[in-house]
Amino acid sequence: MAGSNGKQMVSAQAAEPVIGKGVNRRSFLQVACGAGAGAVFSQTSAFAELFGFMQPVHVDSPLKSYPNRGWEKTYRNLYEPDSTFHFLCAPNDTHNCLLTAYVKNGVVVRIGPSFGFGEAKDTDGNQASHRWDPRCCTKGLSLIRRFYGHRRAKEPMIRKGFKEWSDAGHPRDATTGKVPEQYLNRGQDPFEKITWDQAYEYAARAMKNISETYSGTSGQEKLVAQGYDPAMAEATMGAGTQTLKFRGGMAALGATRLFAQYRNANVMALLDSHIRGVGPDKALGGRGFDNYSWHTDLPPGHPMVTGQQTNDWDLCNVEHSNLIIAWGMNWITTKMPDAHWLTEARIKGAKVVVIATDYSATMCKADEGLIVRPGTTPALALGMCHVLLKEDRADMDYLRRFTDMPLLLRDDTLDLLRAGDVFPDYKNKELKNARILKKGEKIHPLQQPGPVIPEGLRESWGDYVVYDEKTKEPQAVSRDDMGATFAITGLAPALEGSYTVKLANGEEVTCQPVFAHMKKLIMESYDPRTVSELTWAPVEGIEAIARLIAENNGKTSIAVGMGPNQFFNNDLKDRAQFLLAAMTGNIGKVGGNIGSYAGNYRAAFFSGLGQYIKEDPFNPQLDPEGEISMKGYWKGESVHYWNHGDTVLRKGKALLTGKTHMPTPTKSIHVSNSNSLIGNAKGHFDTVINTLRKCDFVGVNEWWWTSSCEYADIVFAVDAWSEMKVPDATISVTNPFLYIFPDTPLPRAYNTTSDNEVAAGIARAMGKLVGDDRFDKNWAFLEKDNGKTYLRRVLSNSNVSAGYDLEEIIAKAKKGVPVPMLTRTYPKVGGYEQGTEGKPYYTKTGRLEFYREEPEFKDSGESLPIHREPIDSTFYEPNVIVAEAHPLLNPKSPEDYGAKTSDLSADDRQARHVIKPWRELKNTKHPLMEKDGFRFIFHTPKYRHGAHTTGADVDIMAVWFGPFGDMHRKDKRMPYSGEGYADINPLDAKELGIEDGDYIWMDADPNHSPYHGWKPEDEAYKMARLQCRARYYPGTPRGVVKMWHNMAGSTFGTYKGHITRADGLARNSHTGYQSMYRSGSHQSCTRGYLKPTWMTDSLVRKDLIGQTVGTGFAPDVHCPTGAPRESFIKITKKEDGGMNGEGLWSPAKKGLRPTYENEQMKKFIGGDYVEKG
Amino acid sequence: MPKVKNWQINRDMDYPYEDSRPDKQIAYIFDTNKCIECQTCTIACKTTWTSGKGQEQIFWNNVETKPYGGYPQAWDVKLLDKLKAQRWKGDSYEGKTVFENVPFGDQVEGHRPEEDDYAHPNLGEDEITGTVEGGQYFTGIHHQWMFYLARICNHCTYPACLAACPRKAIYKRDEDGIVLVDQSRCRGYQECVKACPYKKVFYNAMTRTSEKCIGCYPRVEKGLQPRCVESCIGKIRLQGWLSKPGEARADNPIDQLVHIKKVALPLYPQYGTEPNVYYIPPVHVPRKFLEQMFGPSVETAIENYMAAKDDKEALAAMLMFGNTPQIITKCKHEDSHAVGFNDKGEEVVRVPLTEPFIVRRHYDEKFKSFRLNTA
Repeated sequence: MAGSNGKQMVSAQAAEPVIGKGVNRRSFLQVACGAGAGAVFSQTSAFAELFGFMQPVHVDSPLKSYPNRGWEKTYRNLYEPDSTFHFLCAPNDTHNCLLTAYVKNGVVVRIGPSFGFGEAKDTDGNQASHRWDPRCCTKGLSLIRRFYGHRRAKEPMIRKGFKEWSDAGHPRDATTGKVPEQYLNRGQDPFEKITWDQAYEYAARAMKNISETYSGTSGQEKLVAQGYDPAMAEATMGAGTQTLKFRGGMAALGATRLFAQYRNANVMALLDSHIRGVGPDKALGGRGFDNYSWHTDLPPGHPMVTGQQTNDWDLCNVEHSNLIIAWGMNWITTKMPDAHWLTEARIKGAKVVVIATDYSATMCKADEGLIVRPGTTPALALGMCHVLLKEDRADMDYLRRFTDMPLLLRDDTLDLLRAGDVFPDYKNKELKNARILKKGEKIHPLQQPGPVIPEGLRESWGDYVVYDEKTKEPQAVSRDDMGATFAITGLAPALEGSYTVKLANGEEVTCQPVFAHMKKLIMESYDPRTVSELTWAPVEGIEAIARLIAENNGKTSIAVGMGPNQFFNNDLKDRAQFLLAAMTGNIGKVGGNIGSYAGNYRAAFFSGLGQYIKEDPFNPQLDPEGEISMKGYWKGESVHYWNHGDTVLRKGKALLTGKTHMPTPTKSIHVSNSNSLIGNAKGHFDTVINTLRKCDFVGVNEWWWTSSCEYADIVFAVDAWSEMKVPDATISVTNPFLYIFPDTPLPRAYNTTSDNEVAAGIARAMGKLVGDDRFDKNWAFLEKDNGKTYLRRVLSNSNVSAGYDLEEIIAKAKKGVPVPMLTRTYPKVGGYEQGTEGKPYYTKTGRLEFYREEPEFKDSGESLPIHREPIDSTFYEPNVIVAEAHPLLNPKSPEDYGAKTSDLSADDRQARHVIKPWRELKNTKHPLMEKDGFRFIFHTPKYRHGAHTTGADVDIMAVWFGPFGDMHRKDKRMPYSGEGYADINPLDAKELGIEDGDYIWMDADPNHSPYHGWKPEDEAYKMARLQCRARYYPGTPRGVVKMWHNMAGSTFGTYKGHITRADGLARNSHTGYQSMYRSGSHQSCTRGYLKPTWMTDSLVRKDLIGQTVGTGFAPDVHCPTGAPRESFIKITKKEDGGMNGEGLWSPAKKGLRPTYENEQMKKFIGGDYVEKG
Repeated sequence: MPKVKNWQINRDMDYPYEDSRPDKQIAYIFDTNKCIECQTCTIACKTTWTSGKGQEQIFWNNVETKPYGGYPQAWDVKLLDKLKAQRWKGDSYEGKTVFENVPFGDQVEGHRPEEDDYAHPNLGEDEITGTVEGGQYFTGIHHQWMFYLARICNHCTYPACLAACPRKAIYKRDEDGIVLVDQSRCRGYQECVKACPYKKVFYNAMTRTSEKCIGCYPRVEKGLQPRCVESCIGKIRLQGWLSKPGEARADNPIDQLVHIKKVALPLYPQYGTEPNVYYIPPVHVPRKFLEQMFGPSVETAIENYMAAKDDKEALAAMLMFGNTPQIITKCKHEDSHAVGFNDKGEEVVRVPLTEPFIVRRHYDEKFKSFRLNTA
């Protein structure tokens, strides 16, 4: 094998026996390879010593030939695996990669891509191409250090204080029912090992006790006595089980494994039945926390415009675009396996525009770049709309056919004019493009052709009216009269003008088309010069990009990232961007579309999930083929209320959280696969220091010990993806594949089990406690067939998978091959049916809606898309509506609510509706700017070296995380081989006396940051205050500071570790948890926020799962999203960056850093070393 | 000292050994316009070859941001500074190579990094050349810029490491041109570390030997591309065989892009080692900097790259990147597809220039389900 040269082969063999010291080559290699890849040279100097005894070798010209090639076997042996298998890597990064694991001596030593995506074939034989391959990334390949890493959750663990509380019989305060303080030292108590049976029993006993405590009127009274909002206590309806919260984090990532949490929430109706003695008709289950919206991944304006959760498309569709706009989306770092579609489209001639708040990584792939002020997207989009209107470039035909722009709006009520009010004896038109659901009628998900509308709802909406320029009369339009079929109506609706319409009751009202109002707003408030001052985008940039989009009507892909979505004005951002896309015909077309890209979601592709999470727990179906009786006993709820101190939004006397959204107090949390719930919560330290203490039980399923585990009562150690024994399925929103998590041949490395089994274990233990075998029966198939019946029921009842045979697709996954989802198109194009085929949207009018007539929107001054300043991340008065006076802007003032306009604390900014035009706003200041040193917008985007925290927290990944990585950690102040840092404009840093590489403090609003009620001497404060490295980052504008989101924050244990351990690691010596900060986290400076338009009872939108349209709250569709990219901070120097805290950090001292360049670096950057003649 | 022919600098140059091009020369093309600096290549390499003790700071493969990045720190800046005037006349290099600018007593001009220079491997990540003040709009060549440079051993035709090794323990394989440090004979003198202009030979203090990228020969011997190429999700990499000068074949994707379309250029050709990783230069960076790094043909390379959209042969070669782990020796354009073949002439990959778009029936009669894009 050594080569084609026979002489070399002979020489190589001759060298074989000469190793010496009685060790032959074979046994040496066995020793060397025993510890896995890379260990071959790790036997200290063994290799060099052994081979040093070799006889001299004569080499003539090593360029030509070499005699001593036997040693080459070493690397071949190191490379050769004993076996391989496939597993699915699926963090919350939207990709999902089937990976190949290479096994040596029973250990996974290496991971690679499967190259199976090009083999993916659907039920019709359509096949994906190998252009999808390879799919993997650093996070996946470095998993070998997680499967066996120091933070691996290895067995079930219980917190000492919780165990004592339980063993003492769950003592509580007699009046309030509060758990005594001494039992609540989460994050500080040690953990103890327990058996699995004990873990289930402790959890079940706690949940039972909690449900009993908070049941009935006395339970509700206790909750109020504990300080909960009465509306929240009332929302339990007297069922204590309603205070039990369940969450399968990123639930789409596990159709049965993560949704096991929601199934258990439903099963808890059995517990309620026992506690309150109620029957199946009255029993209530637990509550299920939201996912997509909790992560602020939901773009909340999408349902406001389209009526459905989110519009997006598989990223490979840019193959068909002429213009690609990455808007607040760091595509190449957060969509890594799909970055090549962008760069390849560019090779094939597409133009790439990047809009970002700094010179982002993606900016280096841009043909045109625009750098803007953070949080100003609504204004920027409206400014571009202004250009289109002014220059007559807007696609008016599209607006007439696809949007609510021609609909008449009454000047008196500011409601859309209804046909029933105008035409005597008007009967709503019969709808062909909607399935009208009669009362009590049910329709299976597979048989839902498109929007399914309950009869009563459809009647309540009525039909709408346009002013027809042909007949010069008002004319009725139904939700069918749009898009493709609009031409049939023969109408020529006016977009401008004022019309007097005689109503059926004889009254006359004046009306204007929505467009007239919109145009007035845009033309008067958002001219390019104003928008340029507001957004920092140069006027020529606003104009040029607007024109480019208009020139590429139907061929522009606008990919909007998480960036703009994480501001408080995110719904306005969506509405304004959709307006721009509508004006240019770029919605729902192949290669012409707008989409939001954050997180993996749309569990709704598993439209058959009801079979699993709503199976009637009182009558579980034990025949695998039998029909399921479904009854949903659990309710959805947004985590944002819990994240808001477990409260709702009240302003003065007004309760601004809608009834349909109303949370209950959170007394028990059981969560799988989600460090975001606790460890990465907005305002994480307020959550763990204040809010979490109100919880009576916290259970966490993890396979990698996260900061959420640090604060848990019980950690249920579950299987890593490489050792899953219960097969499961997931989907992706950015690529067209359906993925199976195959069960793998790799034995479990530790005493772990499946997430499914944890849910079942708790349910069974509960069954024993209350003496009810229905708990067991609800999980029967886990024992009977490894849970495959549950998975089969989900898949065979879902639109995207009905037709696939489960065993067959599991077998394919075991070969590294996924299957395409059976969506309408391959690849997926969001809004295809509407944008391309002209079918109605899921809105009331069937059209893209830009006017919102519901009272919550009118009260907020947001019936039209306007710009609001960020709620914290602004140099100006926060959360102000920036616009000139306009007839449709009549919000409730703080005084209308019984509050004061002068109150500007962070809490008071919520629902504070104050209108100022830019010319006034620009003379205001953020209230903290009055205090010394507060002057920076601080944002925390996601990045390439981690998905959430996946991957960033193993040594070989952390070392690449920015410029400070050092595998040797020569400076022992480093918390790990890499560490958290803030990107600061060098000129800003210099003004503060901060050098590149110095350690700094970053402090946000002291009223709530890092947690309410902090005192400088608190241990908690020392742990929670954010300190990190300062990096001179020339790409960020002045006043804007950035820190990456994907790093593990400090805990009590890591803080203690950092100051007491000899190695100085910020590591919890008891749990192994490792922080990337000496203290604090990127969430030290954020907090929870609630916005009224996120929680209305009136918005019409499609349900989360299935095609049915409803109103108000829907988890992950219409509910709060928070604003985690908002904070306003001050920065102070802590200590020098030089070794051990003295002087300048070495690379800066060497002259290699921005603004520290030595002569050679200057010459190098200028390209001056070479002359061309 | 013998004279050898270096086509990259278009002249003969000094080299300690007689010219001897291998039977086959491993070569790579890296498209910097596609590189996303994800470091997947780095981790693929690290977890395969260098995860032992003594190798903590050793990354045979790394990706750095130019101009502020460098692993080890300032590896190229230091050598550029030592080489002094580097003048090109047309395609010919008139300055001195590392074999010609040799200090007394040495074989090769070079410098040995300090241990500390290997710390902070991602120094300079994403950092641009000028400070952003506020809002900005730009088109074309960026006024402030950075780009990503993925780096491995160049398996040079005239390796400086090989030239410098006093034990002749570094050799170039005839069957594939891969350059190896014989781990059984290396005594750790580190002359190679000092000589390699790319700083891709590393000293391992635990084994007391120098080590370097082995071109994943255990894979290449089986017809598979190296780990860093196989796992490159930016699909920036192609590994194959570069024909000798004058023997280029249009159907060999490497030849097509290096010799025929000339879109891929060597890294610092003026060093004189005839490196065999060829880079498609970044289109958005000032040309002067690129000429310093990739030689005088940058503008032509970029023009040809931008013209590839209308050039089916070039496009077919570019679509060979990352679609198969197998080594492709031949490719062609056929029916809007790019087709690749291995050295046995077997078709190993066929990909469409544009991924197909399929509209399924709204109602699937066979499986009795509506098919919807909006679930």
